[in-house]
Amino acid sequence: MKQIRILLADDHTVMRRGLRLLLESHPQFGVVAEASDGRQAVEQAEATEPDVAVLDIAMPNLSGIEAAQRINTALPNTAIVILSMHSDEGYVLRALKAGAKGYLLKDSAEGDLIDAIQSVYEGKTFFSPEITKMLMEDYVREIRTRGADDSYDLLTSREKEILQLLVELKSNKEIAHVLNLSLYTIETHRRNLHEKLNLHSLPELILYAVRKGVTS
Amino acid sequence: MARASGARSSDRVFLHSRLALALGFGGLLAIMALAGVDALNVLRQFRSSDDQIRRRYLSQNHVLNDIRSDVYVSGTYVRDYLLEPDTARADAYRASLEEVRGHMESSLESYRHQVAPTEAKHYSALRAELMDYWGILAPIFKWDPAERRLLGYAFLRDEVFPRRQNMLQLAGRIDALNEQQLDAGNQQVVALLLSFQTRLLLTLLAALALGLGLALFTMRKILNLEEQARLQYVDVAEARTQLKELSARLVQAQETERRSLSRELHDEVGQALSAVLIELRNLSAGLGVRSEEQLRRHVETIKGLVESTVRVVRNMALLLRPSMLDDLGLVPALKWQARESSKSTLMDVTIAAELNSDELPDEYKTCIYRVVQEALHNCARHSHATTVRIRVRQETDRLLLTIQDDGQGFDVQETKGMGLLGIQERVTRLGGKYKIHSQPERGTILSVELPFTEENTSAYVHETNSHPVG
Repeated sequence: MKQIRILLADDHTVMRRGLRLLLESHPQFGVVAEASDGRQAVEQAEATEPDVAVLDIAMPNLSGIEAAQRINTALPNTAIVILSMHSDEGYVLRALKAGAKGYLLKDSAEGDLIDAIQSVYEGKTFFSPEITKMLMEDYVREIRTRGADDSYDLLTSREKEILQLLVELKSNKEIAHVLNLSLYTIETHRRNLHEKLNLHSLPELILYAVRKGVTS
Repeated sequence: MARASGARSSDRVFLHSRLALALGFGGLLAIMALAGVDALNVLRQFRSSDDQIRRRYLSQNHVLNDIRSDVYVSGTYVRDYLLEPDTARADAYRASLEEVRGHMESSLESYRHQVAPTEAKHYSALRAELMDYWGILAPIFKWDPAERRLLGYAFLRDEVFPRRQNMLQLAGRIDALNEQQLDAGNQQVVALLLSFQTRLLLTLLAALALGLGLALFTMRKILNLEEQARLQYVDVAEARTQLKELSARLVQAQETERRSLSRELHDEVGQALSAVLIELRNLSAGLGVRSEEQLRRHVETIKGLVESTVRVVRNMALLLRPSMLDDLGLVPALKWQARESSKSTLMDVTIAAELNSDELPDEYKTCIYRVVQEALHNCARHSHATTVRIRVRQETDRLLLTIQDDGQGFDVQETKGMGLLGIQERVTRLGGKYKIHSQPERGTILSVELPFTEENTSAYVHETNSHPVG
């Protein structure tokens, strides 16, 4: 089996060492590079072209978000996981916008890191269970306190299906192939989806789906 | 900008009152000067016309007296001439008579120049009478002494005396007229004085009225200024007391915050870390001695302790300053705060933000965030509100914030808690304004307006160059 090549970037040596020990106890993972700041992370990524980059959100010189942005631009095939101590959705959205596919809380990193790397390597999104739980609770409370209509009910079953596939980071073309529909039809559905939910970017759609518990 | 336009309008007010004062005092002085000049003029006129009238009267009187005495003298000479038997002496009388006639005629002639229209009739009558008189006298000079003796007395009685009487009457009438004229002249002078008196009275009244008006106006102005000065003084004194109170409270608040931080560090973090240390000692002492199950329990305890400590430290840090304010900007920080409040208080807190850019100056972000935090804190503690609506709007020259709740409200005049003072302090430091509309049972609206000024916004340009996330 092909080993998943990993870049680890964190300014705390103890944290980095702990994560490395954890990853190296699984034979399918190989840590190919380490970095202690954002700039170094970008350099190392460009030098080693890893499959997955695990970036701490708070690093000197260049923040994890900025590093993610640069790595995503330079190496679109490298999946990025952001490590963070912030559970606020503002940070999650920002990470997603920077091109990250996974968002992990440091508190529980040792428990979820393996799953996270595996998921993003397979092209799916991954969030710490705490994040998912919090987002869903927020959503439920919002619906309840505000008595608002659940916008999810406005969606047709086809649109719900497409939303789920979008969250799995499938392109329009892939979705068209999976559903056996024309690319044009998918684009129309997607436009309707953005309109109905009043969400105008993929990261926002992904967060929405997490809140709704649409993701697996 | 508002301050400048205010200064301009007050300048205008000052200009107006200055103009009014100058006009008023100038008018008053002008009226007084005019009255003075008029009085001098009238006095001069009075003196000169009085003089003229008197002089004329005297000279006329003099001439008339001359004529009158000439008439008498001529009568005497006529009588003497008629009664004188000696021819030589009679001729001397006749010559004297001729002389008197000449004198009389020259007097008449001189009087002719000063004849007033009212006297003209009498004057010409007198003149005709005199001509007649001399005409009647002409034949007697041809008489010889015998004729004079024979006819003289009758002539005197029938011709000379009645005529002389007549002439004297005429002269008397002219004299009376003359006197009348003097009277008329005097009356003219009196009329002049009367009209002057009226004019003077009017002028004095006008000056008095204007002076009174001016005095009232000036008085009111001065009283107004005095009142304004008093109000300003009161304002300043009040502001100073408030400032003192505020700084005292701020110092107190700072001390309270430090105390609670210190307690939390000591009680929560310190205790937990001590416990971790003890557990670690137990663990190392138990290595190789106790069963794996027991050791695992120690490890689980340590894990739990550290997890809760991490949570405490993170909450403390967030409370001191939420990192999203720096990392993500104002709106995400506000949204986070809203969610936290919603979670912990059962209030439904919503944020509506219209910001042109998220790169607000740091002080503005902090100010708005802290004001919202303080307001939410107040809502949660005092208002029993169920919903709180927060709106932030950025305009070209200012930032607007309104926080509206549906709670029980309060009396704005009565209440001034630490939170409100803190809000006031933060807002005024940025040159902003804040307003609270609240009535018991009607909810509360807090609105804040922060202007973007040169000095406040120029400072943040340097800061936005690098914006690390973390």
